[in-house]
Amino acid sequence: MTVHRLATSVALLLAALAYFVPAVAGGSPVAYAACTTIAILAVMSYGADLILSYLGEVSLGHTIFWAAGGYAAALLSVNAGWSGLPTAAAAVVVAIVLAVALGLATLRTREFVFSLVTYAAAVVAMEIAFNWSFLGGSDGIVGIPPLTIAVGSWRLSASGNDQLWPIAWVVLMATLLFIHRFRHSRLGTSALMVQMNPDLATALGIDARKVRLGVFVASAPISALAGWLYAYQRAYVGPDMFETYFLVLMLTAIVIVGRRLLLGPLIGTALIIVQQTFFSIGGDGDKIVLGSVLAAILLLWPRGLVGLWTVLASRPRVHGR
Amino acid sequence: MNILQQLINGLVLGSGYALIAIGWTVLLGAARLVNFAHGQLYMLGAFVAWAVMTKLGVNYFLAVPIAVVALGLLGVGLQGLMLRPVMQQNLTSLMIVTLGFGYVFQGGAARLFGGDPERFVSPLQAAEIRIGEIWFTWQDVLTLVGTLLLFGALWLVLNRTRVGAVVRSVAEDPRLAQLFGINAALVYIGVFVFECAAVALGAGLVAPRSPILTSMGFDEVILTFVVVVLGGIGSVTGSLVAGFGLGLFTALFGALVSSAYTTAAAFFVLLAFLVLRPRGLAAR
Repeated sequence: MTVHRLATSVALLLAALAYFVPAVAGGSPVAYAACTTIAILAVMSYGADLILSYLGEVSLGHTIFWAAGGYAAALLSVNAGWSGLPTAAAAVVVAIVLAVALGLATLRTREFVFSLVTYAAAVVAMEIAFNWSFLGGSDGIVGIPPLTIAVGSWRLSASGNDQLWPIAWVVLMATLLFIHRFRHSRLGTSALMVQMNPDLATALGIDARKVRLGVFVASAPISALAGWLYAYQRAYVGPDMFETYFLVLMLTAIVIVGRRLLLGPLIGTALIIVQQTFFSIGGDGDKIVLGSVLAAILLLWPRGLVGLWTVLASRPRVHGR
Repeated sequence: MNILQQLINGLVLGSGYALIAIGWTVLLGAARLVNFAHGQLYMLGAFVAWAVMTKLGVNYFLAVPIAVVALGLLGVGLQGLMLRPVMQQNLTSLMIVTLGFGYVFQGGAARLFGGDPERFVSPLQAAEIRIGEIWFTWQDVLTLVGTLLLFGALWLVLNRTRVGAVVRSVAEDPRLAQLFGINAALVYIGVFVFECAAVALGAGLVAPRSPILTSMGFDEVILTFVVVVLGGIGSVTGSLVAGFGLGLFTALFGALVSSAYTTAAAFFVLLAFLVLRPRGLAAR
């Protein structure tokens, strides 16, 4: 058995085990709700992770794609009676269109200008969602039907978290597979090269702008699919999907374990949601915890908990010398 | 609609924008730093002044300076925490760290001051001046005069004094400035403290116009960003002009088109500017 095959088998085994986590955790509604939420928010974070980890830029606009996915699901299922797969396709298309527009507008911006423009775009998108009656205005859109997925004669209708969990698990696994493929793709390696050494990348014939746009557009549908599922989970979408909470959560989930790690954002999201579900100290208190963790990680161990591990592991040897 | 009234509204709004933005302009120009907690610092400035007034019964004219000093001290603490990434000029980390700080301030302020809208009242807000059909308040006059004085003083300090020369040399090349014996870390702290204090002053003068909420601050960041970019990053006179320009634009847009979408409109002006003149703004 080759190493590659062994790795694939271990990955498949872990993926299968992940499916039974809520059942092992007691099978209670709370366990299913927490696991489904973790899966959804982790997928949302993976969208921003592509930008932060592989382009080295900070996108503060991924709440736009997250909300776009939610609004696409809500509008089409409530007003047009579409079922789950067509609304998912629509969420992806809307996200790609928005990402191309925002990506082209920010194509030449770097660093804080890029972050600020994406941030400003998110604030403006929230203002539009808040004021435009087509999108439900400040009330949002209520009464989203249960998520129905129909393939041929096979039908699945999911309303509660225990029924949504298998779908959330599939979306999460598909996202992990996509990120894994991306890391080894030409686009992924080019993005890293553009981030690490732009001059070398250009010398090797890589068009930095094309790579940046490509990664930006690839990242948007991931967050949009998370928003799509979130709309069904809450049976409601509203301008609160643009809240800073989601933005801070994405960034914290990415940096907490360490950037450029396949499972990093998933473990980070799990840590945050477990704290907020089982060890909450009130909404405002949780804000203080989340913000402090984000700032503290970057100030104390910029490489995340993995970096902290390296420091701890090397300490005894240093003392031994 | 009275055009003259809208022009006056625009000048008053614009002086507020410029005042709120000035700290950021200096921070970006002199230290090449960005602070995403800027909007939350504005919120804190307003709430500290409000709390001092309502809980301690202090007069408005004393409460605002107290808020300015309090935020200045907060600035020392924050910059102390961030000194390592600041000295490394690690912008990516700093952006996320300040975003985290802003989130902590938002949660902390909601715990401390409660989640309800509060009335932060200036005695000058009720003192109106009417000339024919147009009217404004003494608070508007104070904001306008205060902004012009602060910008004038800042311009003089940056361009005509030894301190200004030190700040400009660090902005130009921090390593070289350090070779000449300049303490760059001290300059960064000073600039950051100025940002915090200036935004507190802006909050003290501008926030009494409407009820204050611990969740506010986002619009202020966007408008600040528009002012800083349109004015030319780091340019003091530029941001004053851009502030007035944006104020006139939002006053006229709000009166003629739609008041709900003014932030969106300001943002599209910014986008158009970025698309038309990207090279000048992309990086220094």
